[in-house]
Amino acid sequence: MIVEMVALIARDLKRWYRTPAQIILVFTTPLMWLLLFGQAFNIGRLAQIGDTGIDLRMVFGGATDYFSFMAVGQTAFIMLFASFFSGVSILWDRKFGFLSKLQVAPIPRTAIPLSRIISSLVKSMLQATVVIVLAASFVLIPGLSGLRFSSSFGVLDAAGLALFLILLGIGLAALFVALGLVVRNEETLFGLINLLNFPLMFTSSALIPITLMPDWLRTVALYNPITFVVDGMRQLVFGTSIGAEYSVATDLLGIGIFSALMIGLGAILARKALLRG
Amino acid sequence: MSSEGTVVGVERLEKVYGGSIHAVDSISFEVGRGEIFGFLGPNGAGKTTTISILTTQTLPTGGKAEVLGHDVVKEPSRVRKGIGLVPQELTVDDELTGRENMELQGSLYGVPYSEAKKRIDELLELVKLADSAHRYVKTYSGGMKKRLELAEGLIHRPEVLFLDEPTLGLDIQTRTSMWEHINKLKKETNMTIFLTTHYLEEADTLCDRIGIIDHGKVIALDTPAGLKKAVGGDVIEVEVAECDEDILEMIRNMPAVTLLDGVCSGNRARLKVPDSNFSLPKILTNFIARNVQVVSVAVKKPSLDQAFLEFTGRELRDDESSSGNEKADPGARKGRFRRRR
Repeated sequence: MIVEMVALIARDLKRWYRTPAQIILVFTTPLMWLLLFGQAFNIGRLAQIGDTGIDLRMVFGGATDYFSFMAVGQTAFIMLFASFFSGVSILWDRKFGFLSKLQVAPIPRTAIPLSRIISSLVKSMLQATVVIVLAASFVLIPGLSGLRFSSSFGVLDAAGLALFLILLGIGLAALFVALGLVVRNEETLFGLINLLNFPLMFTSSALIPITLMPDWLRTVALYNPITFVVDGMRQLVFGTSIGAEYSVATDLLGIGIFSALMIGLGAILARKALLRG
Repeated sequence: MSSEGTVVGVERLEKVYGGSIHAVDSISFEVGRGEIFGFLGPNGAGKTTTISILTTQTLPTGGKAEVLGHDVVKEPSRVRKGIGLVPQELTVDDELTGRENMELQGSLYGVPYSEAKKRIDELLELVKLADSAHRYVKTYSGGMKKRLELAEGLIHRPEVLFLDEPTLGLDIQTRTSMWEHINKLKKETNMTIFLTTHYLEEADTLCDRIGIIDHGKVIALDTPAGLKKAVGGDVIEVEVAECDEDILEMIRNMPAVTLLDGVCSGNRARLKVPDSNFSLPKILTNFIARNVQVVSVAVKKPSLDQAFLEFTGRELRDDESSSGNEKADPGARKGRFRRRR
């Protein structure tokens, strides 16, 4: 099982890093969002102009500025983006017959979706790291605000950050890989992905502070898996529970449950799709 | 159901789609060890569906199929270990090099790395890709990709190799070289090969036995020579210096020889015999014994073309658009009528 998994993961990663456009996208996509959205959409200014005396940390999940707030959310956002490509890639593999080749090979059926989930995780984690490094390095550029970590940020916090992202990445990849196996038509798959991505993103506190939402949306956002992830990560990055919705433990539990559910759902769908008809 | 030498055993195998489309309609056949067995039929006849069932990709809706003594439904993983498949589509990965594709295949089939390395060199040599092994497959021609596909199917030294339309869409030279590779395989390894094709020439050149399949049914199964024989024997055309009634009478009296047309046309007589290889020397001896001067002799063996037409009631062409669906294919229907007549 291990040898074939490694071979399949390597194949997937080679296909990825050998495409120059992919590598350029890894850097440009987060750069665009951080620069154009993160810097321009500085809603913290509004509060300052009005001089309302609000503690901005209550709004920005512990951060004192919008950019730091959204930079953390952007990591979750990029995980979502990176993960859905794994679903698309497996549909392509079906289209050009590679999937049939795997089905004829004497490998456990589980190895097929599992290897794709792992390669997806490698790619998405790499991209999340790029987001964090880029956002933090903005501090060095005059005129830009950067992602400011709490002074107490340590190795444990970093490990926690990684854990949140890994759980999210696994859950999302499991979902999208399963969809890529079940859906046999590109248009339908893209439609479905959009249908999932948009609400997942904008009903979470990744880019928009939850306190600014209308009540009904806030209720939805509180149960969005991405909210659990960014809520937990912000507490680790900014070193405070001010402005947090849940405790870090609850956040971990929330995303853990999501991930487990997606793996379960993915396993059912994938088994059905890989079964002989 | 399988005897010692049986590698593929199929009994009343059936695949019905959507309750009414009989892609495979109760077929039975056996393939012996070391045999090249071919399914010949138009597109949509059920060839690929049969391969798909035998290679554990599709479940049959009825009947039984065993490969290497293992039931394809109950023991798919044991079947998978012993078989190789070269699918109809090109599934080699464009973004990898030829060697990387082979290495991936080796890992998928559990060939240890050091052993795989050795075999990859051998196989790339066999399919004449050794010099291009380091190049990305996206730079390969269609024929090269197909050859790489063949090499991939051999990496784990399968006992049976399934070739689904091995030369579909290839040019004549590449097709011929593909045939050479396949023949070489048989000679050197005694591998059992199951192939499908809709090229008569391919079936004739490669196969020890051919099953003619149409509308999901095997309608004839024999050696290429046997199929041709079923159509009728060989035709020998003898040209003599001067044809007369005595000569014709002599011909009529020869055992197992039929005089066609009843007369000479331009000093040529056409004789039909079951097997010209054996009849021709006897016939010529007779002519010489009677002091008849023979000017020329031509032998016409029946083609598989004729055989196919005879059995299916229609011609087999490359551009055959038949999907096995009679409603959508008036040509096939016409063929059926012709057969009935």
